[in-house]
Amino acid sequence: MELVRHTIGRYVQPTEAEWARILPCWREFVFSRGAVVSAVGRIEQNFYIVKSGVQRLSFPFDGKDICVGFAYNGSWSGEYASFVTRTPARFEVAAVTDSELLGIGYSDLQQLYSELGIMERFGRLILEELLAGRAAREVEQLSLSAEERYERLLKRSPQLLQLVPQKDIASYLRMTPETFSRLRRKRW
Amino acid sequence: MNTALMLDALADKVHRQRARAMEIANLPAEQLLHRPAPGAWNTLEVMEHINLSSSMYVRGLEAVFRRDAAKYRPNTAFKPGYLGNWFTQGLQPGADGGIRWKMRTLKHFDPARQHGASLESIGKFIELCNRLLALLEQAHHTDLNKMRVASSLGPIIRFKAGDALRFPVAHQERHFLQIERMLSLVK
Repeated sequence: MELVRHTIGRYVQPTEAEWARILPCWREFVFSRGAVVSAVGRIEQNFYIVKSGVQRLSFPFDGKDICVGFAYNGSWSGEYASFVTRTPARFEVAAVTDSELLGIGYSDLQQLYSELGIMERFGRLILEELLAGRAAREVEQLSLSAEERYERLLKRSPQLLQLVPQKDIASYLRMTPETFSRLRRKRW
Repeated sequence: MNTALMLDALADKVHRQRARAMEIANLPAEQLLHRPAPGAWNTLEVMEHINLSSSMYVRGLEAVFRRDAAKYRPNTAFKPGYLGNWFTQGLQPGADGGIRWKMRTLKHFDPARQHGASLESIGKFIELCNRLLALLEQAHHTDLNKMRVASSLGPIIRFKAGDALRFPVAHQERHFLQIERMLSLVK
């Protein structure tokens, strides 16, 4: 639970009494690599903080899985859109490596939002962050070349290349595995 | 063999496996995720493997019991089928506690090639034990020689109901030995 405290503490500073209310709402989840964290078509029950491991967010399209993002230590995980709208998930979240997640259920989080003003503020801040991140990625997708997007990824999350299968990274960068492998060779 | 003694011995094993699973569910994640070798299964994957295999027998037995169990009078003797006995014996650890046969896992029962394993796999196993225990209870009131269930070894091999109870319990026992060995590596 140290991680929950640390992660929320990056945004807001609850009092000890508030922490005593917040922390017990979080539970530990453990997924072995390859396990589905959230399945397409099911309503996401939890909002997660990643304690360890990498998860892939992908969506099935045209018989393929298109990878749209990764979650790793300290970041959020889960199918957020489904979680907030209470509608069936369109994305799949799967553990790429063995993963430990800390999760809070929908009703618990709503309860905390309505009881504690500071938690509502926390909710607003992460939403702003998620939205800004989404916008930045959209710009990247639309304006950068495949090579530039690869450079950007290397700089931002170099550890990802060690942990995630190349085909997922290629899919994330919207290139074929062949193009990706050519790019890599060119660099080394 | 005496049916009642056999069923009681099986129920006893399942009770112990279930109790142990409840303890294992509370172990730290590092222990549950520990792999003894890079490509090897961790404890959660072994649990999910058990679930994939045992649930086949549990579902098969539930269906055949529902349909036919009431038709037969209780039989105090169970005579294992040739194949059922052979495969169940083959699962038993040797006198030294070592695994006698090495077996290759069928793709169907490999969690990595199905939906993967998680902490929930342990909860599912406990649930499966409850259903097995209910079946072991019902089994006293029918004839386990008379009904047959598809085995996990392919559609051609069908086990007598009694063997379809013995096999998954022995299979679970074998994998619990594996789990204990793995857990002892990371304390």
